[in-house]
Amino acid sequence: MGYAVSEPGTAAVSSALAIKILIAGGFGVGKTTMVGTISEIRPLHTEELLSDRGIGVDDTSGVESKTTTTVALDFGRITIRDGLWLYLFGTPGQDRFWFMWDELTLGALGAVVLADTRRLQDCFPAVDYFEQRGIPFVVGVNCFDGARRYEPAKVRRALGLGEHIPVVMCDVRRRVSVKEVLTTLVTYAVERA
Amino acid sequence: MTGEDPGPLVRLFGLTGGRARPQGEAFDLVAIVTTAHDAPEPGDLMPEHRAVLSLCRRPTPVADVAAHLRLPLNITRVILGDLRRDGLIGIERPRPAAQTIDQRIYREVLDGLRSL
Repeated sequence: MGYAVSEPGTAAVSSALAIKILIAGGFGVGKTTMVGTISEIRPLHTEELLSDRGIGVDDTSGVESKTTTTVALDFGRITIRDGLWLYLFGTPGQDRFWFMWDELTLGALGAVVLADTRRLQDCFPAVDYFEQRGIPFVVGVNCFDGARRYEPAKVRRALGLGEHIPVVMCDVRRRVSVKEVLTTLVTYAVERA
Repeated sequence: MTGEDPGPLVRLFGLTGGRARPQGEAFDLVAIVTTAHDAPEPGDLMPEHRAVLSLCRRPTPVADVAAHLRLPLNITRVILGDLRRDGLIGIERPRPAAQTIDQRIYREVLDGLRSL
């Protein structure tokens, strides 16, 4: 399928579609690794300039008058076909960047919440966030070397997840494993759609 | 970009005239940007603007444009907003998710993932 290029003199009407999937979870749980494992490109990096208040820079005063900081955003891409892409965004870890999640989740297909059984509590905020907003998500339990293996049912109980939310054991360094997590998410999202 | 070096920041203000938000209708991080192929390219464009026009001859999501330009997202958005205002690019308008991702797309995505 080709691109619908813009009509002369009008804004582009494109048939191209980029679909967002979020990869969330606590710091160091393997979000960027997961993106890198499955992305066809080396994860791209961009950043958002923020004011010192962490709520975006406002119009009137301009950037230069504020203390600015940056929040990194890493993402990868999977081309499904010409003009249809999946974008995997690793969510910023710190709580003060929640406002960026709102934009990231807008129109997103769904999310993967990565969990580390050694510190399950780190993924509570992400689980809460997606539950409250009704965004389809699956929990991927990243099985780190040396970490005790848990049954998915135990993780589900510990996280207080409903029976319908998929819990998948995974190794984010392995492509086949990441594929399984993503197909689980898409299958789950389509059932709910 | 490093925190200590003020140079890049100063350059960023130059690109946007100190503005932090794009002109016109808001657009998503993965909204598709397409160069308007009928618009004559002004001769006085900045290199970053020119780079966008070149890149987006193939429809390209906003996030990719930012990564390609190596500029922060909001700076990229101001540039894109300006180019849109001048009729040099089109930016896909936001659509509700339910409308964007239909059963056919889900199926394509699933098949695509499985065949990776």
